[in-house]
Amino acid sequence: MTAPRRFVVDEELTIVTAADHRERLLASLGDGNALRIDLSGVGDVDTAGLQVLVMARAEGFRLGLPVEFAEPSAAVTEALALTRLEL
Amino acid sequence: MALDDDMREALDMFVTEARDLVQGLEEGLLELEDQPSGGETVNAVFRAAHTLKGSSGLFGLQHLVAFTHVVETVLGSVREGTLDVTPGLVSALLPCTDHISAMIEGLARGQLEPDAAQAADGARLLSGLEPYLMDGGAMTPTASAPGTDAEPQERAWRLELHFGEDCLRNGMDPLSFLRYLSTLGTVTDVVTVTDRLPDAADMDPESCYFSFEVDLVTAAPKSEIEAVFDFVRDDSDIRITPADSQLDTYVRAIRAMPENDRIGDVLVTSGAVTELEMAEALRIQQERAVREGTQPVPIGEILIEQGIVQRAIVDAALNRQRRTSETRSQDTRTIRIDAARLDKLIDLVGELVIAQSSTGMPNSSATDTSAEAQSEVMRLVDEVRHSALSLRMVPIGTTLRRFERVVRDVCMELGKEVSLVITGGDAEMDKALVERISDPLLHLVRNSLDHGIEPAGERRKHGKAQQGTLRLNAYHDAGNIVIEVADDGRGLDRDRILAKAVERELVAPGTALTDSEIYNLIFEPGFSTAETVSNLSGRGVGMDVVKRNVTALRGSIEVETTRGIGTTIRIRLPLTLAIIDGFLVGVGSSSFIVPLDRVTECVELPPGPLVRDCMNLRGEVLPFIRLRQIFGIPGHAARRQNVVIVEQSGQRTGLVVDSLLGELQTVIKPLGILFSRVKCISGSTILGNGEIALILDVGSLIADHSDRELLRQAVPVG
Amino acid sequence: MAKTILIVDDSASVRQVVSIALKGAGYEVITGTDGKDALTKLNGQRIHLIISDVNMPNMDGITFVAEAKKLPAYKFTPVIMLTTESQEDKKRQAQAAGAKAWVTKPFQPEQMLGAVAKLVQP
Repeated sequence: MTAPRRFVVDEELTIVTAADHRERLLASLGDGNALRIDLSGVGDVDTAGLQVLVMARAEGFRLGLPVEFAEPSAAVTEALALTRLEL
Repeated sequence: MALDDDMREALDMFVTEARDLVQGLEEGLLELEDQPSGGETVNAVFRAAHTLKGSSGLFGLQHLVAFTHVVETVLGSVREGTLDVTPGLVSALLPCTDHISAMIEGLARGQLEPDAAQAADGARLLSGLEPYLMDGGAMTPTASAPGTDAEPQERAWRLELHFGEDCLRNGMDPLSFLRYLSTLGTVTDVVTVTDRLPDAADMDPESCYFSFEVDLVTAAPKSEIEAVFDFVRDDSDIRITPADSQLDTYVRAIRAMPENDRIGDVLVTSGAVTELEMAEALRIQQERAVREGTQPVPIGEILIEQGIVQRAIVDAALNRQRRTSETRSQDTRTIRIDAARLDKLIDLVGELVIAQSSTGMPNSSATDTSAEAQSEVMRLVDEVRHSALSLRMVPIGTTLRRFERVVRDVCMELGKEVSLVITGGDAEMDKALVERISDPLLHLVRNSLDHGIEPAGERRKHGKAQQGTLRLNAYHDAGNIVIEVADDGRGLDRDRILAKAVERELVAPGTALTDSEIYNLIFEPGFSTAETVSNLSGRGVGMDVVKRNVTALRGSIEVETTRGIGTTIRIRLPLTLAIIDGFLVGVGSSSFIVPLDRVTECVELPPGPLVRDCMNLRGEVLPFIRLRQIFGIPGHAARRQNVVIVEQSGQRTGLVVDSLLGELQTVIKPLGILFSRVKCISGSTILGNGEIALILDVGSLIADHSDRELLRQAVPVG
Repeated sequence: MAKTILIVDDSASVRQVVSIALKGAGYEVITGTDGKDALTKLNGQRIHLIISDVNMPNMDGITFVAEAKKLPAYKFTPVIMLTTESQEDKKRQAQAAGAKAWVTKPFQPEQMLGAVAKLVQP
């Protein structure tokens, strides 16, 4: 069992970047990597961003690859509190 | 104060900008006068006025907003090509720019409101623009409706937010709405529903898949919560319902509410449903009824089905409504009596008891004392009866005043101006009659408003006061009550009525008729002069129905009209339904009463065989009805029989009886339910000797008989 | 990080008053004097909301919004259009161009703040 690959989401986790993030996340999972998604640098998050995170976890579950989230920034924490979503 | 400085700076900017705009406006107008079709100039002038209005609003300069709004509206018509530029228009608009300019200069000096002279000047200028306004250029106030004075109470709501797939692409982020909700109150819980998120491969990262269930506690009214979603409402499914924990509160509040006929009003007032939701539910109700061609589904059911409100709340509101209608129907069974009248009746009964006991005194020496006592009892009985009857009498005013609302509503609908004048409201009549005459009266009132009174424009043209007058007048006349519905409208058109009557084959062409006979044609079945069926009086209920109702109450109706001056319809009714003047006749051992107002004369039945139940009355053929035969009374006819000639709807018929017993005043007792289907009898009364007499219903007696005659002629019995 | 709003209106006083109100509420504000000018302000910087008038010289608001939405960075930026009650057709055109929110002119600064706050919080 290798250590999960670190996946960094920078500044923007919104509809503007959602398509990019989705591509990259699916590519990483497709390579058979467990993921550790680093959210410490996220400054802006919206519903589209949250949807991509939930998608990544579901896809990881489907592939049997653990997906975990690390170091949520203030913006991410606020969005999670707002939606009562747990990552 | 930096902000104040900033605002002052902004105001200075506005003044500078407005000066330019006014100048542009003025120059543009002058240019237009020379070249009325300059499209770009028109645009520029319009934009100048528009910008002026917008900026004034931002600074709260309401006077300037209202003034420039009218100028903008006029210029808007020019831009759209519905109004031509004329020298007159330009001369009306130019002084307006001067006025705006004066207001701006006032602002520059720090004067935010116009002074009295300026305000008057503004009003004068605007009235000069009035001819150029297509329709209602008046500023619609944008201020939000003032909230109720009641202390706003915190309530719990359940919000189900299913945003449209495109909402993210449109820049509407549900997270923003959630954040905003927490500024309205306390978000106690949120459930983010992620079920609709598809597999990663199928997911469009720009579509919205999440939906949310939010519990919100807020003092804000439901309409305010609703308004949060204004920008996404069209393509989202947003449901806001009172939280289940609050149901009791609503149910209690609804129970405590005043009576209301309309469930919608109850629900909106309770705060559980907003005006917008109600309007939408009504739209769905209408649409469905039209599409399926069925009776509309109750509005409460639609509200429940749309998830707008729970059944418990609708049920509470329905109860409120049902109780209202129950109280209403009880109203007809109970009667409010003036206490003094009741006291008088009780006094009389007391006197009667005393008088009666004195007749039974054993030792009354003189017989004349006894006779005196007897006649005293008789007098008192009569008075008791009068007094008891008067208990049923109510002033007609209450009923007439109900028409104030009708007149107001109908006038709104028709766009007419009519004042209602009620006189004689204290005239009293039998309570039962009042109730039964109110529908015919309503019809007459609507008819007058709809067809009688002309629109304001037509009235002005004929030199009449712009406002029409409808008079309702009641008075007593010779033991009757007379109710008049009088309008000062266009009056009846004699020729048109006659033409229509001929067309409808109500009269033969060329028949010589007096004016009053012609006017009375409007009461004929199948007659209606309205060329366009209006919403109000064209419902197929004609004047004939009014007449039938009045006749059923033993009344009469007549019309008096002068072309161009107005029409008066006069209803004459007996004061009470409880007493009639009757004519007592005998057949065998039975007694019958014929209403006296139907009787025209009495003759002896000519001896000898008569053909087809007809007799010769002064050279005329008079059909007659043998009461013995019709009611199957056993025994042989008396040797000498009499004929009571009655008249109904202009048709004369004889009633063959054994004996004529004379006139008497009769208290009508209605037949019991058991006999309610018996034809030809309208009631009964108890005679002085304790026997029962049946009161004949002359109308149905004649109708019934002629039906049978027709049948007999059609099928000759071999 | 404060959210940035672009205000496009040919009236300097409108720009000024709206700016004051929005800055007071904690937003960053940039302004454009008409559609053409505003397009030059869209140089790739993050803008969270656009507020635009409809009637403007050089380029009207509807054209501006349609142009802005063609730029990838602003494809999904929410737009509040300043309409008047008499311009139902303009409102429809603006919606088609991508402006799904609106504020009716004339408005008071508080009304503008209310509409903005539903879409973007400072």
